[in-house]
Amino acid sequence: MSVEARFGPQRHFARNVGLTWIVLLSALACLLYPLHLDLGYAWQKLPYLVGLHLAPDGFLQGAVLSLFVTACSMVLALLVALPTALGRMSANPVARGIATFYASVFRGTPLLVQVLFIYLALPQVGIILGGLTSGILALSLNYGAYLAETIRVGVMSVPQGQREAALALGLPRWRVSWKIVMPQALRLIIPPAGAQFVSMLKDSSLVSVMGLWELNFLAQSYARASYHYMEMLISAAAIYWLMSICFELVQARLERRFGRGADPFGAIHN
Amino acid sequence: MSRTGMLLIAFSALLATAAWAGETLSRVKRTQVLQDVLVDDYPPFGFIDNHNQLAGFDVDVAQAVARRLGVKLKLSTPGWETISAGHWHGRWDICICSMSPTQDRARVLDFPAQYYLSPAVLVVHTRDNRIRSIADISGKRVGVGTGSSYESYLHRTLQIPGGQPITYPFHDVVIIPGDETVNFRNLALGPGVRLDAIVSDLATARGQIRAANALRIVSGILYSEPNVIATDKGDPEWNSTVAGVIGQLKADGTLAAISKKWLDADITHDER
Repeated sequence: MSVEARFGPQRHFARNVGLTWIVLLSALACLLYPLHLDLGYAWQKLPYLVGLHLAPDGFLQGAVLSLFVTACSMVLALLVALPTALGRMSANPVARGIATFYASVFRGTPLLVQVLFIYLALPQVGIILGGLTSGILALSLNYGAYLAETIRVGVMSVPQGQREAALALGLPRWRVSWKIVMPQALRLIIPPAGAQFVSMLKDSSLVSVMGLWELNFLAQSYARASYHYMEMLISAAAIYWLMSICFELVQARLERRFGRGADPFGAIHN
Repeated sequence: MSRTGMLLIAFSALLATAAWAGETLSRVKRTQVLQDVLVDDYPPFGFIDNHNQLAGFDVDVAQAVARRLGVKLKLSTPGWETISAGHWHGRWDICICSMSPTQDRARVLDFPAQYYLSPAVLVVHTRDNRIRSIADISGKRVGVGTGSSYESYLHRTLQIPGGQPITYPFHDVVIIPGDETVNFRNLALGPGVRLDAIVSDLATARGQIRAANALRIVSGILYSEPNVIATDKGDPEWNSTVAGVIGQLKADGTLAAISKKWLDADITHDER
């Protein structure tokens, strides 16, 4: 395949996608125009919504707090998901049982119920967690269960022959997993995992029920106090959207990196 | 103030434990901090002001209580359901949060003192010419906050502990429970578009009327609802301390002054 065939159309393709975005964005702006939004008010509240200042209690607030909660939960979710995925694939019935039970409970019940359960029910047995800890714990446990399935599917999709061939070459087991299975599995894990993290960012708004002044909490609170309902909802939505776009860009980069050699047209999708 | 999380009531009903007697009082004395919970989206009682600080009637009352106790005030704003579900387990000491006393809440919380009365009113669209009194809401769609006392009022089941018996001069109302802010926006769309009327408290109605400029209050006050200070269940010493402090703040005019500051009227006067 010639260089031009690969990169020529792609440049046009990307440009046309960009143009389409601009047209749709303008259409969206036209839709919002008749709402007579008080942009001055939204602008005045923006630094707080974004979280450039600390909350009165001296902790993070706004979008910065949402990002903090999401980042902590992401790391913890990964830590929970890896052993769960291994358990799901394990030949040991107890390990398999624990992993499937955990995944079933946390995928089969609403996240809000889990958040409230951790915050309100655990104190009954003497475990009193703060709002932040409860929120991060609930998000990690919930998304860990989904992520475990994603990881399991990714690992299972690597042909058995790859592992066998590597073992036959005399590579040690951990190296086979690290150098042969994982890179091929990651190619399939990253797109759905990225989508899960984007959705986690928005689900982080559920921690507002515990009084954390994150983005959604502040937007709702300002909206009710000032009767500028649409301004605040749209501002919050825009900030969530921008943050999601950043997540998606990171995901696209990772996808390109781990897609090398697997799909020559992989890059075109971006 | 007037929302309930049925879910959380269920949670808390499952596990009924009480704070040790004297626990809250001794914690406040030991830490020298009063942990107060309130609502962040209920102007003018509790809201986040232009300087991103909690402000309003309830905040000023809390500050007065803390000053009188000689301790520092710490505010938090967890969801209403997590407050009204009780079982605070030492997270918070007091709720000066415009709560109205109901039998469900009394199972998990104590109400040591009443601190103001909020009048319930009927709100309609300014162009409405069908509803001239509360009797005219029969068969109409009326919005109320989910789980609020106004919902019970329309169900004709409201009981105010120690209050006057309430009359219900209407029947077959189509009750539309929901988010109060959303209800007011729906009513402002026009008479009968999504809602015909709303029952809410006077302060909320006034704020919404100022904001929307398409709504008005119909004929006087439906009933007056007491708003109380809530504490976690089972610390009588703390309760009598709180009751004593509120009594002093009423007697020396502090509560009346706070009320005039935020509501241009003294709503704290009426005694139970």
